[in-house]
Amino acid sequence: MSDIIRRDPRTEWIARNRLHPLYESVINANAGEVRGPTGLLRKNPHKVGFIGPNGIKRIDRLKGNGQGAGAVGRGKSSANEPVLALHQIEAPDFYIMVAPDLVGGRLTSHDKDVLGLAHKLCRTYEADERDQGRSSQGAVVAVCFGEMKEESLDLAGVDRLIHLQNDVFEGFAPEARLEAVAQIEQMYQPKHWLFPDSIHGGADLGSRLSARLGERPAVQAWQVDTQNTVCRGASSSIDITRATPRILLLLEECGDAIDETRHEAKALDVDAVEVSAVNIVDHGLMDVDPNAIPLAEAEFILSAGNGIHNWEQFHDAAKALGATEGASRVAVDDGFMPRFRQVGATGTWVTARVYVAVGISGAIQHMQGIGQCDKVVAINTDSGCDMVKRAALSVIGDSEEILEELVKIVNAHKGQVSPEGETLEKGSEHAA
Amino acid sequence: MIFDWLPSVLIAIVLMLAVVGAVRRISLWRAGQPSPVNIISGLMAMPKRYLHDLHHVVERDKYMSRTHVATGGGFVLAMFLVLCVHLFGVDSKLLAWALLASLVMMFTGAIFVFKRRRNPPSRLSKGPWMRLPKSLMTFAVTFFVLTLPAAGILPDGTGNVLLTLVLSALILVSLGEMLFGMTWGGPMKHAFAGALHLAFHRRQERFGGGRSTGLKPADLGVEVHGVSKPTDFKWNQLLGFDACVQCGRCEAMCPAFAAGQPLNPKKLIQDMVVGLAGGTDANYAGSHYPDPQGKGREPGSAKGSPTEVITAGLVDAETLWSCTTCRACVEECPMMIEHVDAIVDMRRFLTMEKGETPNKGAEVLDNIIATDNPNGYAPGSRTNWAADQNLNVMRDVKKAEVLFWVSDGAFDMRSQRILRSFVKLLKAANVDVAILGDEERDSGDVARRLGDDATFQNLAKRNLQTLSQYEFKTIVTTDPHAFHCLRNEYGDFGSDALDNVEVLHHTTYLNRLVQDGKLKLDTFKGGTVTYHDPCYLGRYNGEYEAPRELLRSMGIEVAEMERSGFRSRCCGGGGGAPITDIPGEKRIADMRVEDAKETQADLIAVGCQQCTAMLEGVVEPRPEIRDIAEILVDQLIEEVH
Amino acid sequence: MQPNVISLVSIGRHPQSGRARRSEQDGRALELGLKLSGSHLQVAHAGAYDSTFSGSAEETVLRQYAGMGLKQMTVLKQSSDADVIPSLSHYLESQSAQVVLLGVRAESGESSGMVPYLLAESLGWPIVSRVADIVSIENGEAEVLLALPRGQRRSVTVTLPFIATVDNAAPEPRQTAYGPGQRAQFNAVDTPEVLDELRINWVEAPAKPRPKRLKVIKAKTAAERFKAATAKAQGGSGKVMKNESAQEKAQAIFDLLIEEKVIR
Repeated sequence: MSDIIRRDPRTEWIARNRLHPLYESVINANAGEVRGPTGLLRKNPHKVGFIGPNGIKRIDRLKGNGQGAGAVGRGKSSANEPVLALHQIEAPDFYIMVAPDLVGGRLTSHDKDVLGLAHKLCRTYEADERDQGRSSQGAVVAVCFGEMKEESLDLAGVDRLIHLQNDVFEGFAPEARLEAVAQIEQMYQPKHWLFPDSIHGGADLGSRLSARLGERPAVQAWQVDTQNTVCRGASSSIDITRATPRILLLLEECGDAIDETRHEAKALDVDAVEVSAVNIVDHGLMDVDPNAIPLAEAEFILSAGNGIHNWEQFHDAAKALGATEGASRVAVDDGFMPRFRQVGATGTWVTARVYVAVGISGAIQHMQGIGQCDKVVAINTDSGCDMVKRAALSVIGDSEEILEELVKIVNAHKGQVSPEGETLEKGSEHAA
Repeated sequence: MIFDWLPSVLIAIVLMLAVVGAVRRISLWRAGQPSPVNIISGLMAMPKRYLHDLHHVVERDKYMSRTHVATGGGFVLAMFLVLCVHLFGVDSKLLAWALLASLVMMFTGAIFVFKRRRNPPSRLSKGPWMRLPKSLMTFAVTFFVLTLPAAGILPDGTGNVLLTLVLSALILVSLGEMLFGMTWGGPMKHAFAGALHLAFHRRQERFGGGRSTGLKPADLGVEVHGVSKPTDFKWNQLLGFDACVQCGRCEAMCPAFAAGQPLNPKKLIQDMVVGLAGGTDANYAGSHYPDPQGKGREPGSAKGSPTEVITAGLVDAETLWSCTTCRACVEECPMMIEHVDAIVDMRRFLTMEKGETPNKGAEVLDNIIATDNPNGYAPGSRTNWAADQNLNVMRDVKKAEVLFWVSDGAFDMRSQRILRSFVKLLKAANVDVAILGDEERDSGDVARRLGDDATFQNLAKRNLQTLSQYEFKTIVTTDPHAFHCLRNEYGDFGSDALDNVEVLHHTTYLNRLVQDGKLKLDTFKGGTVTYHDPCYLGRYNGEYEAPRELLRSMGIEVAEMERSGFRSRCCGGGGGAPITDIPGEKRIADMRVEDAKETQADLIAVGCQQCTAMLEGVVEPRPEIRDIAEILVDQLIEEVH
Repeated sequence: MQPNVISLVSIGRHPQSGRARRSEQDGRALELGLKLSGSHLQVAHAGAYDSTFSGSAEETVLRQYAGMGLKQMTVLKQSSDADVIPSLSHYLESQSAQVVLLGVRAESGESSGMVPYLLAESLGWPIVSRVADIVSIENGEAEVLLALPRGQRRSVTVTLPFIATVDNAAPEPRQTAYGPGQRAQFNAVDTPEVLDELRINWVEAPAKPRPKRLKVIKAKTAAERFKAATAKAQGGSGKVMKNESAQEKAQAIFDLLIEEKVIR
């Protein structure tokens, strides 16, 4: 809520003009309650509310907070966020280490959950100590490798930060990172090591550390307190309840992300890590042809149906957009696309974030197959078809024409940003 | 006559060679696996089988049946008399006259064969078959002339050396075709092998109007599962291949061939002949396998021998996987050859030995093994469709009049509409019905047609085990595939669970209810209706009438498609064909809907969930497709109790 | 030189029926092994092998693996509550394996995915996880493609001998054939058995469905809470463009693609 009271010149103007058609309502907007002769607060039912634009009497229960006749429209300020309390730790008595994935240099929501859980454990240990009459304070340490773009480590609950930025840790360097965490283990003897159990490297590093230390980790853990841990096992079909070990590989939503406190994110020192023999050498990411990506894994699918007549153009469009090609059953049956491109219950169940359906009206089997897609775009001539109902954006018209325009725009865009990477930066910043 | 002895000697020599050929041919067949048949009674029954069963099929083409009776009958009679008159020199005018008469009959028939061959339809093989009418005529004419003296029309000793030599040459030519060719692989082989095939057929039950359509169980735990090389077939299967007369009726009926998939049943059987005798298909003169992908296999490039793996050079695996097991070829074959048995035998090798079931085959089989249904749904969700149906489950009631076999349609939302309709009808008729619930498993139909007989047998045994725990008089199912398995194939596994149990398709059962007056039906007013015969209900189980009677009881006059009844065209959904998904030029389902459109039908009535799914997969506009149970439910007059 | 490849297989578990099956990832590990060394591939399984083995679900599954074209398979005899690491590492060392392939995680048991790491640690070998393919093995080095999310790949070289866990992105295992599976021989080997003592104290129960996290709203005022509770959960019908020009329509699609960051 803003502290500044704003004037509404129009309301004031109406209030001054008794002949104004809205005079009555503006004056009565806040006049529902009057002091009666006895001093009691009385409600005049006739004066409650105002006549709405369609001539029906309306009661504004928002008491002027709503947009109704708002004598004083208070502008909302989003710029003015409250300053969260800072959680300060002078000299930590114990540490809980968290090694976030930092995908693309930023904390994932999984990382934030793990950090949140780390704080929960921290608080419990502190409370236990207090019960014993001792005072003890723990710090959550984020152990980060490589490039760091995250700007709000403090808001995610990082009390201390170990940031190892060195060529040996860049890219895929599991051995070097293992040496580093092993050294940190020796230096700080943390109470816990928490890793996100993810395919982004968290599970790998956590497993390596466990193997090195010879400690049995809790893997796929999702309910953790200082005593017991519940883990999924046997391909998520059983829950294993066990004593909480020192090393935990945690599932998503294992804890609640920090959102009410700020943290120091103070740097913590580590001695130089010595990386001995390296057996695994990273050669970087491969250039993957979008069409070589399995349909089920593809992130962006351009899918063709019965409504496509110019197949050459469709393939060109997929190439220009960098999309993986998909197809409806009919397109496959008619022999325009190979069977493994078929999307749907009888073909492949896809998980694409963006699914562009060109000339697909959407048989039930097809809709089942795209159930997990985030954003669906439909290009179709029939505005009443099921795909249009499902789509976030539907474009009604001739697919050939629209694809042609789209390819033009994309090519122009590519020409603009060809000195690579620039838009990527902008785009991702925009989204973050 | 100077060389008076010459014809007799020639006849004797050719006959000898023919016998040698016959022995050799028989030894080729005997290289196959043993299959017990009663030799004596088979041979005794052969003439009757020819006249009744075989002729019954040939009779579908009146022209050909008459021609064949004249030609074939004339030849057999003439040949017998030739031996009497000319080889053994029986001096009887009566015999000679009889011989003349039979030769005339044969000649007349041969003229019609000749006429047919002047502009043969594409399904007929050309090549050596084109000279057959000429050989037949030569035979008739030659022996006619030769017999004239014996009949007393011409005096003995007529003719000179030249005539005798000419006649002798003609004897060689005609007998070469008719006797020598018969056992050495000429067109006349069909008479020799065909006759024996009738005698030693692997499915003796088919004769005399019987029906035998269930696949034979594969031997498990042997060195090689299924058929890898020609000698892995049973010997009478090999004999059956040799009986092929290359009339191409199977080719004309095969849905896969019509859709341009790489299968031609006639060519397949001829390739089997190449395999059993060794050689190449260079001499094959009929239509080849369609080649939708333009692989361009040259005629003559298919090589085989009795001991070589069939799919390594003789027949492409794709050919075997194109078959929908619709049995149209078997139904149409005048020689009663069992194409489907052979195809599934070879599929068994591909699946159980090579692990090469194409496309989704492997996935489907894995699912069936792990979840007892082809799509890998949780077995515990099998009864979810019936949550609101208030159905008895066998595990609770132990005993019911009727067991409703739900089949895997339970997992499919479209099929569930059929199931619900059927349940509603049963309830309206107050039938004491129960289902197996989650204890039911896939019938094994798909696994078996995909060649995985191990999985089929496993499922069959477990299903039988479950069934044996409960008491019921009738099993009814809406799925003709499960119906076929239960009725015709589960009997091979030594269980008494189905003894004295009647297995019925839902249309049969509903028809009984309607005829008994247990269901009251309104008149249907929804335009023209046509009926699609599911293969596994019609050809496999002979049920053509009940569905039609049901439709009639709603006042529906079925607008029959050109191909209906035993000639019904497959929907393309059988035999795991949608799973193996061999590309063709057209889709079988599209062709079937075209058939229906020709009748101006607004509605295609079906009796099978698989057919429903296949036909509904055709792009609109097309007639509506509904199961008969669904149509009935809409016309049901519910009595208020 | 043909590398000495060993694939380790375990008993999988079908997610729907819970029945024993060929594990997805171990099947892929076996497939990759067959690709690398064909008929020289050695396959081992650590598990129960006693009088009840014949006809058991375990045997069926092992025969499914064997049905991929194995003549024989080694079974390291272990009871079901044993820690298999000593047995496996002993076996791998004795076979002087150069490449060891196995799935990322077992489908049954604890499925912690620790087995490969513990083996690597006890043998002192490098380990690469989530392999999509092994491109080549030359000069004591293997070129390996690692699977990253969304079909991306990372190229890595690793020195022999090494352990690789095989991701679901690796080529699908070939179909298992009944006949060869039935004919395959099992070589049962006695190996040291160590009881997994930690696990005995664990409590195992069928998985409880995890509550899905709701959008947590920490609203300060009633109005904010009201708004948060009644706000549409995103969705409804999307935007439909009908009469705009093709160029505008294409631009709208393009904007969405840019916004979703699928076009760069």
